[in-house]
Order: sequence, then structure tokens, then C-alpha cells
Amino acid sequence: MSDYTLGIKEIDAAIGGIRKGSNIMLIGPPMSGKEVILYYIMYYGAAKNENAVITVTTRESATNILEWFKDHKLALPLSRIGIVDCVTKTLGGAAVENENIKIASSPVDLTGIGVKISQFFEEYYMKKNIRKTQLHINSLSTILMYSNIQTVFRFLHVFTGRIKATGALGVYTIESGMHDEQSIATLKQLFDGMIEIKSENDKNFIRVVGLSPKPTPWFEYEIEGADVKIIGRK
Amino acid sequence: MVETGIPKLDEFLNGGIPKGKSLIYYIQPGVEGEVFGMQTVYNALKKGGNCVLVVSSTIPDILKGQFKEFGWDIQPYVNRLFCVDAYNPLIGAPSNEKYIVSNPDNIEGFNKIIIGLIKELPPSTIVFGSLSTIMDLCGEKETIEAVREWNKMAMLYDHIMVYNFTAWPYSEETLKLIKGELFNAVISIGGIAERVIFGQYFGILKSDWAKEIKKSMLFRVLRPGGIKLYIPKILVTGPFDSGKSTFVHALSTRAISVDRLGTTIAMDHGHVDYKGFSADIFGTPGQERFDPIIKLLSGESMGVFLIVDSTNPTDFIRAKQMLEITKSYGLPYVVVANKQDLPGALTPEEIRSQFNLPEDVPIVPAVAKDRKGVFEAFEVLIDKITGGT
Repeated sequence: MSDYTLGIKEIDAAIGGIRKGSNIMLIGPPMSGKEVILYYIMYYGAAKNENAVITVTTRESATNILEWFKDHKLALPLSRIGIVDCVTKTLGGAAVENENIKIASSPVDLTGIGVKISQFFEEYYMKKNIRKTQLHINSLSTILMYSNIQTVFRFLHVFTGRIKATGALGVYTIESGMHDEQSIATLKQLFDGMIEIKSENDKNFIRVVGLSPKPTPWFEYEIEGADVKIIGRK
Repeated sequence: MVETGIPKLDEFLNGGIPKGKSLIYYIQPGVEGEVFGMQTVYNALKKGGNCVLVVSSTIPDILKGQFKEFGWDIQPYVNRLFCVDAYNPLIGAPSNEKYIVSNPDNIEGFNKIIIGLIKELPPSTIVFGSLSTIMDLCGEKETIEAVREWNKMAMLYDHIMVYNFTAWPYSEETLKLIKGELFNAVISIGGIAERVIFGQYFGILKSDWAKEIKKSMLFRVLRPGGIKLYIPKILVTGPFDSGKSTFVHALSTRAISVDRLGTTIAMDHGHVDYKGFSADIFGTPGQERFDPIIKLLSGESMGVFLIVDSTNPTDFIRAKQMLEITKSYGLPYVVVANKQDLPGALTPEEIRSQFNLPEDVPIVPAVAKDRKGVFEAFEVLIDKITGGT
């Protein structure tokens, strides 16, 4: 059953792992540490579970992401890390592709982003013979700023389908409170479950919905450096 | 006539695209197809023509920079290359281009600029970097109506219209129109996928000026270099004495085998050219001690024939083992039930149940020594490889 795990052990225990082919929305308010949680899942997937991890970034440049890991003294296994950078080119920065970084021309260029994702998939599956791949898209909110909901739905329809066919894991972040309910409901159809984050009275909580018969309880968490620590439950 | 610059495609199109005609590159999502439009732009410029490039999914300067990645220097032709910027206004950034679509989410904005250009410029090649982006922003119906009009006007003014289009899951009606009546020619660009896309091909879906050639060409995109064609490898494997060499020879226009005492010890090699699809065929030896050769050949192949002797069910375990080796590479495969002419041969359905193969795995009955069933098997495999398009 547990083809994939998130690495946050209280949550993994509560959901009993994640089945291959699952697509999960990671939704939460701004400044709640979503990004660190995603990096944590990325590090755990690549370094501990030995999966390949493909990250599409529309917020931070690929170089910044790799530096973040370095700053936190986390050694990413680079042979299994792929980043599709949709930021650098639009900012006019020097954009050089290498084994780990592919550059898409803009967050509007869904065709280009799709091509780069497919190339990483081919690389890991066919050439490196890695059977478990995680695709992280951070974030759908930026993509939705440039393209309308139908366009993003079509794009995700294709790629959530590929995740299922390949037996991979997809994690897609989205800001809560930034999009209307209907858009979120439209996108939800494509996902098997949700990692929900909320902030209340300066405390952050996380829970998982849809991946186990009942939603997990809300866990209170704290972020310490690059670590996500569960410190209680609601 | 303007050449597309894509190897083989111009030959299939009787030399290129005639003036007044429209052509669409119909690209499956995830396949690197937008380079087709770019290669056409570069080629048209190189041959002395005027070109218009409609840019809607990135900053025009970035797109111009991408030509360099392919080793195409457009600098000497900049006075004949006109960019229509439909991206910067979208993100609220200023534009340096002469032609700007100020409201890229309204088709009227495009209409004004495109129709103006069609009327104003001498006969040119007008290339749309991404028609799907325009469709995403302006709506499917609105875009289709506009394209209809642009193509009509282009015909009157002797322009050539070329569109890149990513075939996201739009409405069936839209996709049908695009593949059907809207353009004079449709070039389909697809991916060979079995779980992941691991090869790319193009073929002519439609062309109203050239005789239809049902031929799929496999290509790679090189930087520098652009689109380059290559010949795919197809693997023939199966247990000892199942008839692999016979199959390779029956299918091939020319073939050789490396044999000792009548059995293959290294490999068979052949080349097939059938119904527009050409491939190199590699036959592996059947004995277990040669399994490393199967692994070696699998990594580079596009698809697999698994040959079984229909009269010898005891060999099916070995056949399954060989299949596992090639399957681990995620390749599409077809089972060939050989020696159907011999007494006691099991039918494909009996083989399916003994082999415990799922319903979607094709099993083709054959008598390789009489060349019966071999081409049928080839067609089935090609359909699997190209997704039947």
C-alpha cells in the first residue's frame, strides 16, 4: 500500500503511506511554511526513499532552491533531482540548463513546461531505470495568475493522467484564499487527496484528507530550519 | 513554395508549402514540437523570404534567443523578421516590438494586428509560436473563427500560414475541426509512450496539395542542429528454437544472422520498410547465457516482438522470463504465436490463458517460414508504438 511516504512520520502513520499514481493538492495560506514542507517531502523522497523528484518552480529560481538545501546542510542526491525553472528567464537572468535544471520560457508556456517534465520523466524512467518518481509543482497559484482555470485544468488533466500511468506521485501547491471556491472545486476533481494547512492564533496545523478512510486529525507543527516538527494534535 | 526545413517533410509535401496555404503542427502535449515552427521560420528567412513570428507564450527576445540554442543565426535576417508581441502586454510589461497585441485575451486584438499585417506586408511566412495559448486566452470558438478568416485572407494575399498547436484536451469539436477542415495541411507530432514518452515522431495527417503519404518519421531534437531523423530499433526475442531468425528474415528486406550450428549466438539483424515505416530489426539469441545481449539491445529499442512456438507450452515460462527483461524497460510489445501450421499448435486465446497475459496484449498467429502473419504483427506493433495515429 505505502508506495510513497511524505517523511513526516506522524502523518505517514496516520494515512498508512500513499499509493502509487496519487495526485495530491498541498493547500494552505501564505507564510505558513508550505514551501518548507514541500522541500521536506522533496528531500525525504529523494534522499531517504531514493525516488527521483521533479520540481516545477514558478516562484524561486532553480539555483535558489538548490542553495536552500545547501544552506541547511542537506545533501540532495543530485542524480535524482530535476528542476523545471519557469522564473529565471522571465527575470532576464542568465539561464543555463544542466543535468538538474531545465529552463521553461515563462509560467504561461505550459507547452514548454510540459515538454521539460516529460524529458525528466524519460531520463529517470528509461535511462536511469528509477521506478518511483515524484512530481512537485510549486505553485499552481502562480500558473493561475497567467492562465485561466480551464487552461490549467487541461494542463493538469494531462499530467495527473501521466502520474497515474507511470505510478508516480504528484504534489501540487496552491495558496488558499487566493482563488475562488469554484476554481478550487474544479481542480479538486483531478486530485486523490489534499494536504491541508491552516494557521490559527499564530499556530500552524496540518492534516491529510482523502488518502485514508477518514481525514487525519489536525497536527500542530513547527518549522525549525529545514525540519517539520509535529508538536501536538488538535 | 516555401520549404519547412524539416528533413523528409518537404519531400512528402512535394517540395514545401505553396503560397496561400496553411499548415498546422499538431503537437501532443509533452512532445518537443514547437521547434518545428521555429525551424520553418529559420528556413524561410535563410531562403530570402519575409517572416512574421507571433509570440504569445514568452517574451519575444527569449524566443529569438532560442534560435541560437539550435545554432540558427537569425541576425543577418532581422530586417525581414517581424515579431508580433502578444506576451508582454499580458504580464503588463512594456514591449519593444513594432507590432503589439495590446489585449492578448481578446481575439479582436489579434484580428486587428494579423489582418493588418496580411494586407500590409509582401507575401510572407506567418508563423504562430503557440496557437493553443491564443485559444486558452481568447476561447476555442472565437479563435477558430479568427483562424478561418486569417487563412482566407492569407490565401488572397499569397501568404503562407504556419501554426504550432499543442493538442491539450480541448473540446472534441475543436480538435476535430483543427485536424479536419480548418487547415490545408496537418502535421501530427506525437510521442511514443508506454508509461513515459521515450521517442517522438511526425507524420502527415492531411495535405490537400501533396499526395497523402502515410509515413511516420522518428526524430530527435538536437541543440545545435534542430530536428534530425533517425531509424528506430525493434527487438525480436523469444525462447530457443521459437523461430526468431526465421521471423527476422521473413520481415526484412535484407537480413543477416550470426549463427553457429544453425542457432543464433550473437544476433540477427534486418531492415524493414513497410507501409511507410522503416526500422532496424534486431533478433536476440534464445539461450539464457545470452540474456545480457537482450538487456543491451532493450535499452535502445522502440518495441519488442516476443516469438513463441505455439506447439511448445513448456517454453512459455522461459518466454515470460524474457518478456520480463524487456518489459522492465517499459517497451510496447506484441506476442507472435509462431508455427501455427504444425499439428497441436495452440490458438492465440489458448496461449493467452496459459501465459496468463492481459486482454490488451496483442497475440498475432503466424507461420514465419511462410511469411504468414509477420507483417500483420509488424502493423500491430507499429500501432502500439505510435498510439494508432
